[in-house]
Amino acid sequence: MRNIFLALAAAAAFLPTNASAQFPHFVQRGAPPPQPGPLGRPPLPGPPGAPLFGIDAERADFLARSGSANVYFGSGSTILGAPAKATLGAQAQWLLAHPDIVVRIEGYGDPRDTRDHALAVGAGRADAVRDYLVLLGVPALQLSDVSFGEERPGPGRAVTVLVR
Amino acid sequence: MTLLRYLVAGGTLLAGSAAIAQDAAPIVAVPPLSTPADKPTPSGSTAALAWQASKLIASDLQSATELMPIPPDQKDFYSYPEVTAPTFAKWRGRAGLLVTGFVQARADGRVTFGCYVYDVQKGRELDRTGFAVDPQDWRRAAHKCSGLAYKAATGAPGIFDTRIAYVSESGTGDARVRRIALMDSDGYDHSFITAGETMVLTPRLSPSAARVAYVSYMTGRPQVRVRDVGSGAEHSLVPGDAMTFAPRFSPDGNRIAFSMTIAGNTDIYVVDSSGGMPRRLTTAPGVDTDPSFSPDGTRILFESDRSGDQQVYAMNADGSDQRRLSFGAGAHAAPDWSPAGDRIAFTWRGGGSLRVGVMNADGSDEHVLTSGPSDEGATWGPSGRDMVFQRSDGAGRRSLYRISIAGGGDAQQIATPQDASDPDWSGPVD
Repeated sequence: MRNIFLALAAAAAFLPTNASAQFPHFVQRGAPPPQPGPLGRPPLPGPPGAPLFGIDAERADFLARSGSANVYFGSGSTILGAPAKATLGAQAQWLLAHPDIVVRIEGYGDPRDTRDHALAVGAGRADAVRDYLVLLGVPALQLSDVSFGEERPGPGRAVTVLVR
Repeated sequence: MTLLRYLVAGGTLLAGSAAIAQDAAPIVAVPPLSTPADKPTPSGSTAALAWQASKLIASDLQSATELMPIPPDQKDFYSYPEVTAPTFAKWRGRAGLLVTGFVQARADGRVTFGCYVYDVQKGRELDRTGFAVDPQDWRRAAHKCSGLAYKAATGAPGIFDTRIAYVSESGTGDARVRRIALMDSDGYDHSFITAGETMVLTPRLSPSAARVAYVSYMTGRPQVRVRDVGSGAEHSLVPGDAMTFAPRFSPDGNRIAFSMTIAGNTDIYVVDSSGGMPRRLTTAPGVDTDPSFSPDGTRILFESDRSGDQQVYAMNADGSDQRRLSFGAGAHAAPDWSPAGDRIAFTWRGGGSLRVGVMNADGSDEHVLTSGPSDEGATWGPSGRDMVFQRSDGAGRRSLYRISIAGGGDAQQIATPQDASDPDWSGPVD
């Protein structure tokens, strides 16, 4: 599960710098291992047109059509703003067209929050995303959610991860 | 490990110990423990164990600022008969209390520890205790002896045989491996109790450290599990797939308060620690978490962001009479009720920094103890004099620190084999 998440994050270029090294399948299929670029961010992996298959191809298509797997929240907030709703609208369109795909919505707290509050806020964010996707007609069976609180680095957000 | 109490505490004269407690920093003589016959054990000879135990007792008493031990000196050697019939004249004018004891090999491979505390001036015994332990557990027996002396001197329970659970961390970022670890509060007897195959958070010990409740991502979602430390047997705290976290035992160990998130709303629940149907205690929208019982088990502190930011609240153990306690600047999170019930440790959050603070149990006299910028999750030691907390450095590496609430002193790092977070300090081990 962790590797799946990392692969998606790599495609979206939101990731810790060691992520690509932990995802050998992606590297084998796509391109040479991406090296960390300036600011610690890796370049987008793989040349355009590198062949992708199965769930990797679905992820690439999901990202291309919905713009982002991530939606962002204000500090301490679990309320979806207009940009988040626009992204989720595009995600919902894609999910409705791919009823065989199951996703996990990962909620994250804010850095510098206390541990348990961050877990709860992350859970609230994942739930807000899930509720909105359901409101837009995505069957609940396609959706699961989890909170990672502040246990993984990054800004306060929720990430929609294609599982299978 | 088992501790067998085989001696009946005889002639416990609490009137005598109360009189001693009024003196400032009673001086406690700790001459070397004796042995009736020097026999080998896998952990050293009984004479060697007796010597090491004497030194540990003196070290324990030194760590309690109320007492002034006279550490063992080889020339103070006590014969076995003198353990129960000490020469008081030798210590008069030098010490108020005298600790004697012995270590004796047993036929079953264990050793017997005997421990006696005397009022030197009055020339009488105040208390005694004894244990049969595996030789490798000699430290535990010595800590018990320290506790006996401390109680005789101050009237308060001895607090030397206690344990600290925490999360041991190796690697960084997404490659971080986390295991629940357990150690004596002096750092000895360190062990890992989960294998690191799944992410774990926030171990919380039962009062005597026999069980640990912690958060595991084993099912893919964070859920509280309760583990018997001795047998390794485990169960999920509540059935179902709801996200549960922030567990905390009641003072009698029979209940666990925790947070559960349903439909994005996090509330506090309580359930028998052996399982059963959880009962919901809070209903406010937003996040209610980090419950902590009062020492008598009748009230529960918690953190809520119902006012907009995190603040400390208290309620009855059935959820009634919820009231806000913290009103100072900034946010106040993760409360922990002190063993005497008079104070609250908390995490202060403001200006992008986290610090450890204390306030009175009614919310008054709040002050911050640490400089931050990433100090959190303080839990009290059983003496109520100091606490442990987690500190992160700029690179996100975490370690455990200990700080005295008396003030003046800096926090001291607690040595751990790897990076460490989420400490929890038990009460006295049985």
